[in-house]
Amino acid sequence: MSNKDKESIQLLQGTLDLIVLRTLATMGPQHAYQIATRLQQISDRLLNLNQGTLYPALMRLEQYGWIKGTWGRTESNREAKYYEITKAGQKALKEETQGWRRMSALVERLLLEES
Amino acid sequence: MSHLRRIFLKFYLLFANSKVEAELEKEIGAHLTLLEDEYLRQGMTSEDARRAARLAYGGVEQAKQRHRDERGFQGLGQILQDTRYTIRLLRKSSGFTVTAILMLALGIGATTAIFSIVEAVLLRPLPFPDPDRLVTLGDEVEGLHCASCSHSSVTAPDIRNYMRDVQSFSQLGGYRGRLFELSGIGDPAAVNGTRMSGELFAALGVPPLLGRTFTQQEDEEGQQVVVLSYGMWRNRFHGDANVLGSKILLYRKPYNVIGVMPRDFEFPLNPGQANQSEFWLPLSLQPEEFTAGSAASWNSRMVGRLKPGITAERAQSDADRVARQTMRDYPAYMRSLRIHAVVMPLHEDTVRQARPLVRTLLFAVIVVLLIVCANLVGLLLVRAIRRRREIAVRLALGARAGTLLRHAIVESMVLSIAGGAIGLALAAVALRVGVSLLPETLPRINEIGLEWRVMLFALGLALLTGFVCGLAPAFAAISTSVNETLKEGGRTGTPGSGHSRLRSALVVGEIAVALTLLTASGLLLRSFEKMRDVELGFRPDNTLAALYVLPQQRYGTQPAIDEFRKTLLNDLGQLPGADAVGITSFLPAAGNNWGIAFMIEGYVTPKDAGLNMASMSLVEGDPFEALGIRVLRGRVFTESDNAGSPLVALVNRKMAERYWPGQDPIGKRLRRGLAETSTPWMTVVGEVDDVKLGPADAETMPQVYQPVTQTVASEGPLASAGELSATDGWIVLHSRMDPEQMEDTLRATMRKIDPQLPLYQMQTMEHAISKSEAPRRFNTVLISSFAIAAVLLSVLGIYAVIAFSVALREQEMAVRIALGCQRSGVILLILNSGARLAAVGCGLGLLGAVAASRLLRSFLFEVSPFDPGVLAFSAIAMLLLALAASALPARRGSSADPMLALRGE
Repeated sequence: MSNKDKESIQLLQGTLDLIVLRTLATMGPQHAYQIATRLQQISDRLLNLNQGTLYPALMRLEQYGWIKGTWGRTESNREAKYYEITKAGQKALKEETQGWRRMSALVERLLLEES
Repeated sequence: MSHLRRIFLKFYLLFANSKVEAELEKEIGAHLTLLEDEYLRQGMTSEDARRAARLAYGGVEQAKQRHRDERGFQGLGQILQDTRYTIRLLRKSSGFTVTAILMLALGIGATTAIFSIVEAVLLRPLPFPDPDRLVTLGDEVEGLHCASCSHSSVTAPDIRNYMRDVQSFSQLGGYRGRLFELSGIGDPAAVNGTRMSGELFAALGVPPLLGRTFTQQEDEEGQQVVVLSYGMWRNRFHGDANVLGSKILLYRKPYNVIGVMPRDFEFPLNPGQANQSEFWLPLSLQPEEFTAGSAASWNSRMVGRLKPGITAERAQSDADRVARQTMRDYPAYMRSLRIHAVVMPLHEDTVRQARPLVRTLLFAVIVVLLIVCANLVGLLLVRAIRRRREIAVRLALGARAGTLLRHAIVESMVLSIAGGAIGLALAAVALRVGVSLLPETLPRINEIGLEWRVMLFALGLALLTGFVCGLAPAFAAISTSVNETLKEGGRTGTPGSGHSRLRSALVVGEIAVALTLLTASGLLLRSFEKMRDVELGFRPDNTLAALYVLPQQRYGTQPAIDEFRKTLLNDLGQLPGADAVGITSFLPAAGNNWGIAFMIEGYVTPKDAGLNMASMSLVEGDPFEALGIRVLRGRVFTESDNAGSPLVALVNRKMAERYWPGQDPIGKRLRRGLAETSTPWMTVVGEVDDVKLGPADAETMPQVYQPVTQTVASEGPLASAGELSATDGWIVLHSRMDPEQMEDTLRATMRKIDPQLPLYQMQTMEHAISKSEAPRRFNTVLISSFAIAAVLLSVLGIYAVIAFSVALREQEMAVRIALGCQRSGVILLILNSGARLAAVGCGLGLLGAVAASRLLRSFLFEVSPFDPGVLAFSAIAMLLLALAASALPARRGSSADPMLALRGE
């Protein structure tokens, strides 16, 4: 493994969904490229993510009915599929966020105790 | 909610694949374009930008695959695809496919049909709520050795005592079925009905469909009410909703219809269809049923529901306490009788007798299914071997073992599911047609059908069969050695290759189990033949029989009854063509007889011999002549043997041999009842031949005949006050004419005497015999047809194996012939390999037959399960058939063209 890989963060299972939902909730409708760019910005490029990895997550979320994709045009007049969070998605985001907070608090506590 | 939605979509998208795939393509394209734009803006050349975009995106194909994995059940999608592929392949070799599917349909269909019988007759809980708590209660009478006593029964005083004094039941009641003369609705008819305690309805716990059931109080008050079965309501009242309150006449006494039971209510759960109860009326025991001979007649049965927490054992010891009290209260004339209470689960009581038959059927059908599976495995193996080159090429191109395995199993599953579907249809047809052919010895026949559990069974069976049968060819496929196969070129013919050992083992197994079944069928056929050879003791031709039962309303006094019988015998005797006419209480072959206890003068009953039981036929006229029963010694009864004259009796040969061995029975004396019963002696005036009162394969009972006019006098204290004799009887009429033509004459004669009196169960004696043979015929026919199927299938199996090995060795044969081997030598070579397989199979099959003998023994009649004739004949037949099956490929092998050897490939 290269050094670069060591520094970058590996995504926890299931967290990508949360991140995508959150991004869509704050940024409004986005296409996959925008979402990917956004993720890289926030993570200061620590999150080294093949952009293709997003697709299964988007598909999953769409199948749950949490996001909805429609074809539209970008500012540069390119075709792109825009994803938008749905009402069910808002609700799910709230639940998932709470779940994540509990989980991370627990892990945090555990790590504190250990050290 | 959203998860459900996702699962649904994942299924749906399996089928809408191309559209989603196109959309994904488009979306990825758009994404890449945007990335490219970005890199272009950063000043890259368009070439570099494209590369960078691809790099940033990651592997496009991987992303697509991950997308596919995520959006649909890919395992399933894969299988769907495999299935389509398999079906295409199978369509190409339609001969193989049709053979395999039909074979499977036969195997699975037969197994399903038999299983549906097993399920309805043996496995399904009784159709009452909480059926595990229902038990029968009855007496076991010490020293009563009779074959027909497999169901425990009770007397009228028992019913009263048990109901009153046993504490272990929340409800308990007695019942007794009988034939009723039904009138007041349509033509007078004979109908099966059941007298039963009001409490029994509560015990069974099935609410009526219409109206209500009667209560214990109504029962005890002797209310004349009746509850109809669904069938009777439908058939005789045309499902009239206002049936409640109408009246029917039973033996010309009016009964008020108060309720109708639902369609699936059946009680008692009698074997067969002919004996089902059409209505239920209160038991209302009459005073005379507690006295004299009736108190010693075990002619009723009891069913109860155990109180919560009470076990059957506790109930039995509780009931036994009551039984001991009952014995202490026995009247003087039956003081020495000893009884024990027996409690048995109602389900066990119902299915016990049917179990051996049903088990044997299941065994037979499983044998057939095994052969089907073995054949299928053989066929699939042959296919796998034929496709070895294809498989080797696929392996060489990088196909994974898992994929090949999956293909093989999917192929066999597709076949087995198709076979299963057709088999299920076959089973449905078979059941439609077959239920009416089932013997009257099976209970709950009406419940037999393709129930969901049976369907599930068939489906499971198909899947299991497919999976198991797919394994062998699957492993054959993956163990294909790429190098060897491809090097071998077209010559796949070395005898050691192609899993020939496995295929040979399969054929040996098939022959073995087929032979086991064949010997079973042979033994049954032999038994049937033996039964046909049994001396029935009477002459059945040109003899007509019919039952009459006189209603007490009209024939309430002995003179009225006597008058009726005298007129009847007289009128019938004068019919043109009538040879002989008589009346008897038990009809030969009809199986409606029972035994009573006798005391024999000067005979000391050995210890443990029990009671001296014999059947007692009450006769009038000349039934001996009419039935052609041979008189061996002495005389038959005459007009002068009547109520006033000395008591006389006839005995059969068996009775004479048992009690007066080596002596002349004439002049010996016997009497009814036990030692303490003060009945008068009857003098034996003649000896007649043994008559089969039931089926020919049942044991003949000692038999006693008595003039019906002397019944009451001979009964002494057993006769109740004002007892009437001869209220019912079988008319037997021998004529010089076709008995079926005599039917109308007999009916007309009866109408002249009493226009309202119906004749029941009119039949020729030939018909009665045929009916008594029906259960054995059923077993024999069914097992034999399974045996034939098994033999045919195994012959097909051996043919397939030999034919295939000959095809593989064609070149070898050609070389042999080119080198000067005679064609007959080649034939011998091939026949030899077939015969070897058959011989090993037959050896194992004979061992199998020995192993199966225990299961079979109870069905055999005067044939040993090791009958050498049958065993030898079956084995030889099997061997010959196997040789015949190898002969065809042998001829083909011998005609191999020697040029083939020279030309090579």
